[in-house]
Amino acid sequence: MKKIIIGSLLVLMSLTSFAETPEEKGLAIAVEGDKRGEGFGDSKVKLKMVLVDAKGRETSRDMRVKSMEGKADGGDKSLMIFDTPKDQKGVAMLTFTHKTKSDDQWLYLPALKRVKKISSRNKSGPFVGSEFAFEDISSQEVEKYTYKYLRDEVVDGMDCFVVESDPVDKYSGYTRRVAYIDKQEYRALKIEFYDRKKSLLKTLSNSDYKQYLGKYWYPNLSVMTNHQTGKATRLAYENYEFRVGLKAKAFTKNSLKRAK
Amino acid sequence: MRYIMKKSLLAGMVSLAAIPAIAEVAVDGQIDYESTVFFNDSLNPNIDQNINNSISFDAEVYTEWADGSQSLTFKPFYRFDEMDKERTHGDIRELIWHQVADEYELKAGIGKVYWGVTESNHLVDIINQTDGVESIDGEDKLGQPMVQLLLEREWGNLDLFVLPYHRERTFAGSDARLSVGLDYADALYESDDEESSVDVATRFYSYIEEFEYAVSVFHGNSREAVVGVDGNTQKPLPYYPVISQLGLELQYLNEGWAWKFEGIHREGVPENSIVIPAFGAVGAALLGPNLVLGDEESYFATTAGFEYTIVGIFESRVDLGWVVEHMYDSRQEKASFGAFEHDVLLATRWAANDDADSTLLVGAVVDYEYEDYSLSLEGTTRLMDGLSLEVEARVFAPDEDAPLYGFRDEDFIKFRLSYYL
Repeated sequence: MKKIIIGSLLVLMSLTSFAETPEEKGLAIAVEGDKRGEGFGDSKVKLKMVLVDAKGRETSRDMRVKSMEGKADGGDKSLMIFDTPKDQKGVAMLTFTHKTKSDDQWLYLPALKRVKKISSRNKSGPFVGSEFAFEDISSQEVEKYTYKYLRDEVVDGMDCFVVESDPVDKYSGYTRRVAYIDKQEYRALKIEFYDRKKSLLKTLSNSDYKQYLGKYWYPNLSVMTNHQTGKATRLAYENYEFRVGLKAKAFTKNSLKRAK
Repeated sequence: MRYIMKKSLLAGMVSLAAIPAIAEVAVDGQIDYESTVFFNDSLNPNIDQNINNSISFDAEVYTEWADGSQSLTFKPFYRFDEMDKERTHGDIRELIWHQVADEYELKAGIGKVYWGVTESNHLVDIINQTDGVESIDGEDKLGQPMVQLLLEREWGNLDLFVLPYHRERTFAGSDARLSVGLDYADALYESDDEESSVDVATRFYSYIEEFEYAVSVFHGNSREAVVGVDGNTQKPLPYYPVISQLGLELQYLNEGWAWKFEGIHREGVPENSIVIPAFGAVGAALLGPNLVLGDEESYFATTAGFEYTIVGIFESRVDLGWVVEHMYDSRQEKASFGAFEHDVLLATRWAANDDADSTLLVGAVVDYEYEDYSLSLEGTTRLMDGLSLEVEARVFAPDEDAPLYGFRDEDFIKFRLSYYL
């Protein structure tokens, strides 16, 4: 009996995979990738952001990010605290990611003791002068895009799915993104961003992937290159820590004022 | 000032004693050099200086213990000013112990709190006294002795304050530009306890989606003085009445729009028709300055408007914002000096989104009753990590009848270099 069920299941699965449209396959890949990232609980990481201009001159920023995974219905929450440049020390940004509606974001300016809500309209704008837009650094929820599987391709010797994702939000700065996701671990090795005029704007390359808690893959280096300006931004991650016991209270609008 | 120093020092020592010896102490510092250039000679013949230099020092000492649930912050400040002996001053901006427990947060010491949402005018903000000598926009504040209890719940946040000491507002001295040309007399209080009167305040704030709101209540010594004239010395005399204030703050964000409202209702402020008859030196010595105050009245004031932001104008990285705010004071021409009775702010804000975080805010405040205006420009940029430049310029074009008429030749441009240690 059991054998029969398994057998028919296999038939069913192969049938569905045959019938799968590129959109369904793209979504399935995104859902699987998201699932593999689930259950991390909370995390802490140090970031060094290096802005490189077209002439190769560099300026850097140091920050720390604390994240907390959302419950079933809610998105992740994150708190970013700036350590440098020195005049920005203590500036903190709180983000509540939402699956369908726009994210909530607040900025704390310590010199003024002022918490300012950031308009969600701002998502396409540059994040702290870098080549990353606000929407690039916020937590990537599956529901924020529609998907389409394009093809298979080999990147750095790894078999990859090439999947297009189109932002649902009309205020996104992109018409589409094309991600190269390795078939083994579902890691995004490269993402290309197309601007509102549909021309290639930027490429994000994620490298130096490491596995944490025997399960979660995170890049230790992300480089965003702007093809239209020749500028680039490097993000180097240091000292990932997981399940450090962060409390929900550390991710409220009020808690921004004491973020250290 | 000395009184506060002593008190704070004691509080600091008590708190410090509780810190385990292993606690890490983080120290940061900042040195600011500023130079202000005035375009015209002063109307005051005693002042012949058109360029003024000043240096200030800020520091922050921070330590935490008990797994970060308790901390101590110390922020001293000192300014040396070439021209103004009143502006050469020090202050403890903060010296505060902070405890974060599961059900509440508690702060005690000298602290700083900001309330409000609007750009042009900060009506609701009342916890800290304005450090008026620091800048003309009133955004610099003196440290305020306080005990603050914060309750954060599902239904919102409630802050309760006990403020056991009142700080007098600082004013530019007689030998300084942007002054009234006279030194201020010692302040008078309505409260018998004078500056030691215990003030109380509370604020409830919360948000629903893109709508943020706050309601606040304050009772105690006014931060804003009613200014009369000491009949004996002819000096301006600040009088601090006991007031009750109800404040409301609203903000609604919708796509590129930020709609903002601040309003206060204040009771206990005498009409601004203060007369101090001259008794001569002997009379004043015997009786002190004699004060005749107008009737206490209640009034309301509002600031309402919007900021509209265009992200990435002309397909560049630059964000452009338009700020329009209307200011109103129900006392109209009886409003205190420095109040905005019937004014409109029109401003534009530019954010370059470059690696130097450059910003520019240019605005005009137009008084449509007096038909006069003032212009302002504020720009910031980073020259290198640890060195920032700020430029501030103001032009005053007051009407002959306007309260700011005395500032008509005080147009200036100020450069500030900030070095972060």
